[in-house]
Amino acid sequence: MAASHPLFWRLVSRALWTRRSRMLVMFLALWVGAVIICALGAIYLDIDAKMSRELRTFGANLYVGPQAGRVLDEPSWQALDQALPPASRLAAGGFVYGMARLQQESVMLMGANLESMADLAPYWQIQGERLAVSFDERHAMLGKKLAQRLELKPGDTVTLVKGSQRQDLVIKGIVESGDSTDYYLIVNLALAQRWLDSPHRLSHGLLSLDNQQGQVESIAARLQQQFPALEVRPIRKVSANEGAVLFKIQGLMGLICVVILLLSTLCVNTTLMALIGERAREFALQKALGASRQAILRQILAETLLVAAVAALAGLLGGALLAQLLGQTVFSSSIGLRWPVLPLTLGISLLVAALATVMPVRRALALEPARVLKGE
Amino acid sequence: MSLVIETRQLSKHFGKVTALDGINLQIRQGEFVAIMGASGSGKSTLMNLLTCMDTLSDGQLLLGGVDASSFDEDQRRRFRADRMGLVFQQFHLIPYLSALENVMLAQHYHSVVDEAAARAVLAQVGLEHRMDHLPRQLSGGEQQRVCIARALVNAPEILFADEPTGNLDEQNEQLVLGLLQQLHRAGHTIVMVTHNPELGAMADRVIRLQHGHLVQEEVAYAPVVA
Repeated sequence: MAASHPLFWRLVSRALWTRRSRMLVMFLALWVGAVIICALGAIYLDIDAKMSRELRTFGANLYVGPQAGRVLDEPSWQALDQALPPASRLAAGGFVYGMARLQQESVMLMGANLESMADLAPYWQIQGERLAVSFDERHAMLGKKLAQRLELKPGDTVTLVKGSQRQDLVIKGIVESGDSTDYYLIVNLALAQRWLDSPHRLSHGLLSLDNQQGQVESIAARLQQQFPALEVRPIRKVSANEGAVLFKIQGLMGLICVVILLLSTLCVNTTLMALIGERAREFALQKALGASRQAILRQILAETLLVAAVAALAGLLGGALLAQLLGQTVFSSSIGLRWPVLPLTLGISLLVAALATVMPVRRALALEPARVLKGE
Repeated sequence: MSLVIETRQLSKHFGKVTALDGINLQIRQGEFVAIMGASGSGKSTLMNLLTCMDTLSDGQLLLGGVDASSFDEDQRRRFRADRMGLVFQQFHLIPYLSALENVMLAQHYHSVVDEAAARAVLAQVGLEHRMDHLPRQLSGGEQQRVCIARALVNAPEILFADEPTGNLDEQNEQLVLGLLQQLHRAGHTIVMVTHNPELGAMADRVIRLQHGHLVQEEVAYAPVVA
């Protein structure tokens, strides 16, 4: 039967409508598959940007320090900072460390560009308030362990003592970082440099760079060549793992897709097999009337692919919503639905449906009209 | 009159069981032949072979002078669509297509759909007022007449009817038989399988089968054709 004739489409549409409950099962199986492909496809295509941003919340990914026997001063640090590709630079900050004396005991004093700390150490958990300006010399933050040892809390005052000099500092926030910062008294960089008698000197600097294309390594190598007196190296803990985590997440999503698609195929296949059983007389009659193998194949494919196409289109809608839901839940941001998702979802849904028809079509083609029409 | 069907030593075996054994048969154009016999006599098997719905094991089958013995599946399908009309005991109408569409379906698999011709043949069997009804909205007799219209729509050389009144009440049986006689008088070749002697008596010739053998051929009725 020519597929273009209206009678063919009447046959197809009425066959679908007559068995709408079974078709609904098939539709749902394909719809779920399409939703998952669309949602995970959208995330997959958007994940590089999203994950890179997410992983960057672990903080700086480039360390700059002095080579052995050298010092890192602020002019060198600023020169290096200016040599960075502006598009890649997300945050930068210098640090200085040294022992200082409080009225109670000696502590490790950490000076930092406090306005950059939200980007360089976003994982800091702060009780109280964050010091976020570089000119504040009346406030400080305390590492959690130090605060526990000194029994201090936000609002209390500590006093730095150096000879006859005194510097009162009101504790604005208690920092929990999970690293050695938990033992430090944290003040702004200029105050620390002055107090430690290290004007314009830094212990090290940290940078947070965009690493979507894995460019941290190459930037580090270039800077190292440009500034041989400095030690420039990626903080591998974050930047190297970034790619590995991405790869694993993408692999997991691919695996989920494959499993869901297998289940969809199985469900469609089972439904079609049952349908062919129910419609054995129809197909046997059509064969008796002269329908060719191609005509039977065309009819089953047309019915199945029609359902699959509608399921895929509905799945795009559901998938877009699911992608947004996952984006908000996991990344706290929306997921862009890129155009390749459309052909990907449609193509895979149609392919799954077509694959699922292989066995049912073979069964329909194997029907012997004489026996089936006799009711054997 | 030319031979439309000829079988020579036609046999069909199902494994070790012989369903038909050495059948020699000739049916001429315009004849109304009834194939009769008890259940298991082989009449349905013979019908399946004559309608190219099954393949023979031994012997030769000539249809319209063409040797159909070694036809492959596609050739048998094409031959059946082009030159035969089939009437089934259980009607076998597509339940979600109207009477008219069921008839048009046979046209579709044959060549091209001609709605006017389909309407005309439905009118010929007295269903001009039921064309748009679904099979479930038709009586048994009406469904069988749709089935006959479907069989006739492509102007076949031979009309095969397998127990055409087997599922009908007496009133509808008479209606369908009248229709078959009318078609016969109009010159159609009809081959009918039946176990009903009354139906057999309507035919020009009765072929009796017993345990797969042709045991008797008799003229049951004053033949229409000379």
